[in-house]
Amino acid sequence: MRFFDAHIHMTSRTTDDYENLAKAGVRAIIEPAFWLGQPRTSVGTFIDYFSSLLGWERFRASQFGVTHYCAIGLNSKEANNESLAREVLDILPRFLLKEGVVALGEIGYDEITDAEERAYQEQLRMAVEYDMVVMVHSPHRDKKRGIIRSLDVAEECGLAMEKLVIDHNNEETIQDVLDRGAWAAFSIYPHTKMSSERMVEIVKKYGPDRIILDSAGDWGISDPLAVPKTARLMLESGIDSSVVEKVAWQNAIDAYGASGQIDAEGLLKTPVVDQTQLYADNSVLRGQAPRMDSPVPN
Amino acid sequence: MAAPAFLRTVLERRLSEPARVWWTTTAEEIARGVSTNRFCALLSLASRHAPTDALQASAVEQDQATRTVPGLNLERWTLRDAARVGLITSRSDLHDQGGVSAILEAFRFADEGECCALLRSLALLPRGEDYRWQAGEGCRSNMLSVFQASACDTPYPAEFFDDVGWNQAVVKCLFVEAPLWRFHRFDQRMNADLARMALDLAEERRSAGRQVRHELWLCLGGHEASRSHDALRQEIAPDNPHGRGRSAAAYALARAGAIEELKSLRATESDPQVAAAMDDALAGNTDASRFRLLDPESPE
Ligand SMILES: [Zn+2]
Repeated sequence: MRFFDAHIHMTSRTTDDYENLAKAGVRAIIEPAFWLGQPRTSVGTFIDYFSSLLGWERFRASQFGVTHYCAIGLNSKEANNESLAREVLDILPRFLLKEGVVALGEIGYDEITDAEERAYQEQLRMAVEYDMVVMVHSPHRDKKRGIIRSLDVAEECGLAMEKLVIDHNNEETIQDVLDRGAWAAFSIYPHTKMSSERMVEIVKKYGPDRIILDSAGDWGISDPLAVPKTARLMLESGIDSSVVEKVAWQNAIDAYGASGQIDAEGLLKTPVVDQTQLYADNSVLRGQAPRMDSPVPN
Repeated sequence: MAAPAFLRTVLERRLSEPARVWWTTTAEEIARGVSTNRFCALLSLASRHAPTDALQASAVEQDQATRTVPGLNLERWTLRDAARVGLITSRSDLHDQGGVSAILEAFRFADEGECCALLRSLALLPRGEDYRWQAGEGCRSNMLSVFQASACDTPYPAEFFDDVGWNQAVVKCLFVEAPLWRFHRFDQRMNADLARMALDLAEERRSAGRQVRHELWLCLGGHEASRSHDALRQEIAPDNPHGRGRSAAAYALARAGAIEELKSLRATESDPQVAAAMDDALAGNTDASRFRLLDPESPE
């Protein structure tokens, strides 16, 4: 089975992770721009970060046969540094039309402040202008209210709901998101967001339509193999493979393919690492069995 | 300014009708003058119109390119590269600071494909000296596509790099195993320091029990004569299982002027490919471009 991890921060991960992703069948990933743990103090570090998502990180992924897409945006946490946020929003359009940018994201709310809302609205208007998909990060605290507000404001700004992906959902928020016609993404992330077992129950209850799995793997304790692991648990739990294929592969392509930046047919081909572009004989595509020991714990 | 005629011809023949219309309109817009933001956006948008298919320039088209820009090799260009270089060279202000600033700004925000196209365009731009740092950055990149767009198949480095920059690009090329024979005017930029760096690298590799990249032997010329000679003798020895290295050493011996020694080695050579390289070298074919014959990536 092949997998698409629609939200993972590979900048924070090692080549071992790339190796394991490739072995486990993860063919493509989306890396949204986010907060790096340490707040940034100048616009230049944003420019370099966005450039690295488009350049170096994509190249690194290609060395392992993993197709790397990204989302570019000002995250909600750093939107609260308003003078810096202004500078970032001014240079953001420079990156939105680049190759492989499948969405504006991850944006939205963290503390649900006015500053966050202004940055969110401005980016939504950019997304409408550039005809882009939007990936919304939902807050950890006051999540349900944050998600409803994200949906309302996106609608007010004129974004079509089929171009909106709300991420980090749970049992309490899925219905609101699906009812509005947006995509509901779930981050299978140990201890905080969602576990593999709970995800199995959600898919059993709601079916596969407009549901997207991702790992949200980052610099925290997270699991880059969360998508293939959860898919395996779904199959073991008797969920039909066509359902699993939708939530772990096809829905991400359908949602983010609206960007015109995903070559869906190309992704179906067995990944080939272009030998002329291989750095120092770095290749992992040697066909070993994936390392998939256990589902992601709650 | 308009894009060079050879580029316009190449594009007209290959772009689909809608893409051709987009490109022509866009080139005209750029020629009339656009803001830097707009210029950068148009370079990005080229990815939505021109595919990354190999350009596959015909011999006649390549010839036209070479007559316009000696040393420009289109062999590994994509159609998208050509479209972008065509747009870059459509600017009317490339002789002015405004044009230079716009190019530098495009470099600053470039993604991988844009960066490659910008680097490929440098040999076609006036005021080439204004882009030295960008070309050097291209050679410092670990993205092989970017490194090669800066260093290979273009006359820019030979014309504008100083010896430090040139030697670093050459030795990096050996490290990343990119084709060194694609460096334009390689033989004119030989220098003693490069030969020393190459010999040091060969010794480092041998100490580590690793193979020496065959193109390393290109770097010696007549410099560091005795060290070079010893290293080449070891490389060309019949017990070296690395045939490509032995062939390269044959060329290198000829390049160093050791013709008599090469003749006597030829008399006893049993490997037909090494023998062919020796014959070729003894016939006087010793310039760097002969290493194309030893390039596993290069269909002859
Ligand atoms: Zn994230």
